[in-house]
Amino acid sequence: MFWRRRSPDDFAEEIRSHLELEADELQREGVSEREAHWKAMREFGNVRAAQERFYMKGRWIWLDKVMRDVRFGMRSLWKTPGFTVTAVLTLALGVGANTAVFSVMNAVLLKSLPVEDPQSVVYVKTSGAPRRANNTGDWQTSLSYPVYDALRREKKVLSDVMAYVPLANDKIGVRIGAQPEEAEADMVSGNFFSGLGVKMARGRGFIPSDETDHSPIAVLSAKYWTARFASDPEVVGKTIYVKGVPLTIAGVAAAGFEGVEPGHSTDLWIPLQNSEALNAWGAPFRKGKSYAEVPNWWCLRMVARLAPGVSRAQAAERLQGVFKAAAYISLGAPLAGEKPPVLSFDEAKNFPGYEEEWGKPLRMLMAMVGLVLLIAMTNIVMLLMARNATRQKEFSLRLALGAQRGELLRQLLVESLLLVTLGGALAWAFALGATRMLGIWAHIDSSLSPDRIVLLATLVVLLLSAVLFGLAPFRTAVAGGAELALKTSAATSGTDAGKTRTGKIVVALQMALCVVLLVGGGLLVRTLQNLQNIPLGIRTEGLLVFGVSQPNATTGTQSVQFYEELMRRLRALPGVEAVTVMGNRVGSGWSNNNNAMVDGKEPQVAGGGSTMQRNNYVGADFFHTLGIPIVMGREFTEVDTPTSQQVAVVSELFAQRFLPNVNPLGHHINGNSKKDDVVIVGVAKNNKYTSMNEEPIPMIWYHYAQAGEPMAMHVEMHVNGDPMSMLPSARKVVASMDPNIPLVLPMTQRAQFEQSISQQLMFARLAEFFGVLAVVLVATGLYGTLAYRVNMRTAEIGVRMAVGARRGQVVWMILRDSLILTGVGVLVGVPLAMLVARALSTSLYGVKAMDAMSYIVAVFGVAMVALAASAVPAGRAASVDPLIALRAE
Amino acid sequence: MPTQDRSDDRIALLQGTLDLLILKTLLPGPVHGQGVARRIQRQSEEVFFVDHGSLYLALQRLEDKKWISAKWGLSENNRKARFYSLTAKGREQLVEKISEWRRLARAMAMVLDAPLED
Repeated sequence: MFWRRRSPDDFAEEIRSHLELEADELQREGVSEREAHWKAMREFGNVRAAQERFYMKGRWIWLDKVMRDVRFGMRSLWKTPGFTVTAVLTLALGVGANTAVFSVMNAVLLKSLPVEDPQSVVYVKTSGAPRRANNTGDWQTSLSYPVYDALRREKKVLSDVMAYVPLANDKIGVRIGAQPEEAEADMVSGNFFSGLGVKMARGRGFIPSDETDHSPIAVLSAKYWTARFASDPEVVGKTIYVKGVPLTIAGVAAAGFEGVEPGHSTDLWIPLQNSEALNAWGAPFRKGKSYAEVPNWWCLRMVARLAPGVSRAQAAERLQGVFKAAAYISLGAPLAGEKPPVLSFDEAKNFPGYEEEWGKPLRMLMAMVGLVLLIAMTNIVMLLMARNATRQKEFSLRLALGAQRGELLRQLLVESLLLVTLGGALAWAFALGATRMLGIWAHIDSSLSPDRIVLLATLVVLLLSAVLFGLAPFRTAVAGGAELALKTSAATSGTDAGKTRTGKIVVALQMALCVVLLVGGGLLVRTLQNLQNIPLGIRTEGLLVFGVSQPNATTGTQSVQFYEELMRRLRALPGVEAVTVMGNRVGSGWSNNNNAMVDGKEPQVAGGGSTMQRNNYVGADFFHTLGIPIVMGREFTEVDTPTSQQVAVVSELFAQRFLPNVNPLGHHINGNSKKDDVVIVGVAKNNKYTSMNEEPIPMIWYHYAQAGEPMAMHVEMHVNGDPMSMLPSARKVVASMDPNIPLVLPMTQRAQFEQSISQQLMFARLAEFFGVLAVVLVATGLYGTLAYRVNMRTAEIGVRMAVGARRGQVVWMILRDSLILTGVGVLVGVPLAMLVARALSTSLYGVKAMDAMSYIVAVFGVAMVALAASAVPAGRAASVDPLIALRAE
Repeated sequence: MPTQDRSDDRIALLQGTLDLLILKTLLPGPVHGQGVARRIQRQSEEVFFVDHGSLYLALQRLEDKKWISAKWGLSENNRKARFYSLTAKGREQLVEKISEWRRLARAMAMVLDAPLED
């Protein structure tokens, strides 16, 4: 409304004037002054009613009343800060945990890639590579260049095929200013952005000629642009050095697109290249040939867009022939008994393949936080019921004064809405922080933050709780009816048998849930301890590891010279005990697997076991540096050179499996030709290679200098004191050799191994957290309920004590109550926990699902919580002064 | 509720007729609320009984619709009073309402006066 609303005062003024005018007129008609005044009033009727009608006219009365309820609700919440804080925090934790976990689940398992029409975008998958091909990257997503070339011609089935491949196993060296840094970079086909339908925020994307011309340009992700260039609008045209190669920044991809690497956030993309520095996976050229010219190297990843009207299954079926033909280019026909690889297409989820690894733990976690929410909600309901039962007098009085039941209900709803709004806002803030933490713990650098779907789900939960919290206490609140206002006895209020029974059931249920969470949490914590205490066979104390890839080595000799010099300089640093290099960083999950021959023959394993072996290329002093004991022979030393006899160290398991009952020293690996012949010179104790919880596999260590190819190596340093404090000196040494080389993922060796079990670690820590949270919630709920019930029985206790009950008897009366509840809760909870533990069993390590200790601890824990929560109210009950209690009647 | 005694021949106003009566009363010139009440009673020869509370709310309603406008002023005996006058829009409405009412009344009369048919 634009005009100023007429004030009720003005209206009242008009009525006053009416009465005066009327009285005047009546006097003129001959009525006495006194009489005229009264008559005018009588004629007018109910002045108040008229004013009230004026006030209500055109006003949104309902809103007006709600505003009044809001003010009243805020006052009453303010008056009971203990209750308000408890309820709001409980709600915030319960809802926040759910929002956080659901947000992660949504991002990891449900969300599609942020591309145009994601339904028609698919990941290209294979059942594997042909037998004689070799593979880098994940077995199921790595494909060869001929396959890419064949598939992209099938326009009728796949309207676009986009190839991409990382420029390194992890991060690559990038230089923008003076300092070298790390970035995550992919080399992609020319149609990468156009095919996916990813728009550019700045500049241009790639075009097909960029792929054929190997244009020296780069496109940045919006995230990297923001983080590294402070969203500089003039970034296009600037130069960035990737592994020392100058590239011009051509564009910035639209915000939200972080590439197609699962769980990784790609910083920059460059067109497919044809140079040794920028080869697939950072590998050197093989016999002078790039990845595209080695047809049996399965190293490319692919994502494709289905042609309109073609389903994933149809596409796979129609392309299998083309795929198989391309797969065997240069390999000849499949070997006898070899199963050719099978093509398939996978949905373009944001995190392809994460379903397998994370699906189960995430769903378990979701169930856990669901339980926590359930406990939290019942807690709040009980708190509200208790609170509103003590307000029965207030409500009765209002009913007696003429308030409608509807009005009371509205007020309760408004109060619960206030609570839920506060709790919800806090929950959202909590979830934002928690998702960031979860991302860090899980080593997922793509965003897991809640999006609109998560927001919607959270709002629905909050709305439901608001209604629940409003309705649940309503019955208790108005149960007294208007008559209660006239009564004063505490005994009449709140001891109705039905109501206390509901309360008891709820408490017992909470205890049962608590047992379940404690057992689950306990099992996972034991798992965590077991995992952390796995013997690695490596002394990780004082070990610092970082990657160094030499950008411009084209021959093995150059590479060896570089690393030998680097090791020499690092050994010279004060505080350094030992230094070595290795091709695959131990604990990182990377390994070379093959089936090498022993003494010129396919190794025969008793009982037909696997002949697979793992190997690694390492430098001199490797075993000494990592503290791996040599049980026979010797380790690599200075006497081993590129030109001396090729030597290897094998693990005990290798010796047991492939050379049983003989002295393995002096036996040969390969051994068909002089060129590949390697002599075993030592046997080392078994130790962990790829991860902390791997099963041991026979292991061969080769000397890296005898490989004859340039390699990217990781440096391992054994130092005195904190390994990380050596990092700056190491950085200086590396920079003194080449300023373009960054240290890749420097960390302690211990941290590297812990990363290999990060999923279990995170899961166990979260379970621990939610277990503790549940216990705290149950304890507060229990305390609140018991305290409330004791409060209600004050009069009864007073009477009992007045007629001679002793303190101990009263305490026991209260304790017995909660012990019975605990007993019921445990009886229900233990079988439930067994079911849950069975479902968890695949996530456990070194502990059984029926681990008695975990159950005992859980039951004991619940009992302790119950006792502690009852002790205070019981003590209070016993110290009730009978006189005061009776006077309260 | 008004509590004064009702004389038998007074009848309550039909729904919606009060607006028309107010507009008609204001036709000659500005009048305050009490004056409107008196005039309606007088001109209907005391048949209509006007509930004063309703009258003032009706005045307010008409003012909100901008059919009438109001202004505080002084009465002939120097009392402060709120004077209402017709707006152009109100005048139009009055003409329309009068003809509407006449048609209604005529139709009512025709039906009521019609000879009984069987």
